[in-house]
Amino acid sequence: MFDGLLDGYTRSILIFAGINVIAAYSFFAPFKTGQVSLGQAGFMAVGAYMSAILTQKFGVPFAAALVAGGLVAGIVGFLVGFPALRIRGIYLLLLTLGFGEIIQVIALSWEYVGGAQGFRQITYNPRTLDYVAGLIVVLIVFFARLERSSLGRAMDSIHQDETAAEVMGIDVVRTKLFAFALGALIAGLAGGLYAHQATFMDSTTFNIMIAVEILMFVVVGGSSTYWGPLLGAGFLTLLPEFLRTLREWLEYVPVSWTKDFPMKQAYDVLHNFLDFENAKRLIVYGLILIVMMILRPDGLLTRDALRRFSWSKLSPRRKPRHV
Amino acid sequence: MIYQQVINGLMLGASYSLVAIGYTLIFGVLGLLYFAHGEVFMVGAFVGLYLVLYAGANIYVALLGATIACAMLGIMSVYVAVRPVAKDRPLAPLISTIGLTIVLQNLAVYTFGGQQVGFPETIKQQLFTFGPITISSVQLFILGVAVLLMVSLWFFIERTRIGRAIRATAENHETAALLGVDVNKVVLITFAIGSGIAGIAGVLDGVKNSGISPFMGVSVAVKGLIVMLLGGLGNVPGAMVAGLMLGMIEILSSAYIGTTSRDLFSFLILILILLYKPTGLFGTRTAEER
Repeated sequence: MFDGLLDGYTRSILIFAGINVIAAYSFFAPFKTGQVSLGQAGFMAVGAYMSAILTQKFGVPFAAALVAGGLVAGIVGFLVGFPALRIRGIYLLLLTLGFGEIIQVIALSWEYVGGAQGFRQITYNPRTLDYVAGLIVVLIVFFARLERSSLGRAMDSIHQDETAAEVMGIDVVRTKLFAFALGALIAGLAGGLYAHQATFMDSTTFNIMIAVEILMFVVVGGSSTYWGPLLGAGFLTLLPEFLRTLREWLEYVPVSWTKDFPMKQAYDVLHNFLDFENAKRLIVYGLILIVMMILRPDGLLTRDALRRFSWSKLSPRRKPRHV
Repeated sequence: MIYQQVINGLMLGASYSLVAIGYTLIFGVLGLLYFAHGEVFMVGAFVGLYLVLYAGANIYVALLGATIACAMLGIMSVYVAVRPVAKDRPLAPLISTIGLTIVLQNLAVYTFGGQQVGFPETIKQQLFTFGPITISSVQLFILGVAVLLMVSLWFFIERTRIGRAIRATAENHETAALLGVDVNKVVLITFAIGSGIAGIAGVLDGVKNSGISPFMGVSVAVKGLIVMLLGGLGNVPGAMVAGLMLGMIEILSSAYIGTTSRDLFSFLILILILLYKPTGLFGTRTAEER
């Protein structure tokens, strides 16, 4: 798929953007029940290391290794999710943060997977883009269906008020555990895809700042609707690329236009601004995050905003019931 | 040998304590996990370094400058990332301070480069021997400053009017406001004190390790969180003791078990505390059960 259309650079950008989208959905799943996890990078690491061990050391085909990595991450998520049920809010945040750090320590001290040298020469998978695209479609369909299912509504009600949900007969323990393990599984898949695209990783690849970035994707995109993670991760990952493209276009501006006093300075400022190395990109991310929390704390896309533009407005619909 | 390790543990623990004090003060007053605190620590170290390098300041001036700069940074962060943020969403201020963390860290990378920068020798190296213990002048200085700070902070919180206002606000915002405490001012003071102490801790860390980098804040921030939890959320004396404990545990485990076990131990402690004693070893100071 897409083979003739894209050059290598665009491909890899799209792949990493897609992996970020998948990672964002992995945060979205537990968040749907109100669980904020800073351990998603840790689950990515579990999936990445597991699948890379299978392909590199045992010669297992990529697809099988990817699924196995995801499942192992899901099981680990289930095990972490059990104690996590007892705690919430800040305590859960700290627990998942601690989990992520422990995974890093294990990756650092486990010589079988390279230890401090890092895991080298992971088998490259040439078809990652297809897998990424396919998985994103599956995830969107899944979360769209989930939103209208009784399980999805149960999750939303737990997010809003856990006690009320329990009183209404929702199995809070099972639902929260399911959401947490599902998130871990999705993160594991994202990690497996990452490992076989980057072909190298070490203990710092999946660090706390990655977990924070994943959280940011969902918060910026909008956490109340399943389109939010896609929008947030896509927008934030591709933003520097758009700006870089703009910069390349800027260079087509004839020199005669920009050699004199006001225009030259304006050109230089713009040219410098659009040069997006990593530190600058992250500064802008951080500013976006602060501004978002002030202006739109629910993210760019909210359910209300979607409803305003939805087709259902055009079709006759039931009057809202007042309870 | 064991005495030497105990000294090292106290040194490490002192910097954890100083960072955790800020966390726990701010958590006590606002119920907010102030994520950017580790970066304030880092900024303090860089302010100290630049004062020493370019203004030719001695260590005392560097400490004072870093304190003032970080206190101002703390006050600024209230206005930028805490006050304007939506009040009805518990996550919003946490996320905006995460944003501030990212901004500060990468501003530092952008300005100073991502490399480790050497910290010049500001205290004359001298060795003192007390029986089996050998302690350097740098270590003595750092321990002295840390102990002095902690004692005076304890005195400030427990014995002064402003300290009482801070405790009252931590107990309950509305009641404190009804009793005539200017809650907004207390929040600003708390941020200024906590951040100033973190700035001092940053300079001391630079002096101790003779090198600083823009990424030094993250690991300290995480360790500070563990210490805060270990000492009980909002509990200032608890944070002091817990910091020293964590420093000891880390140094002793890395000396006698292995270097990588050091971080493993601290995070295992974090998880055990979370599961079995979420109020910390010394109880929380906040009234509300979270």
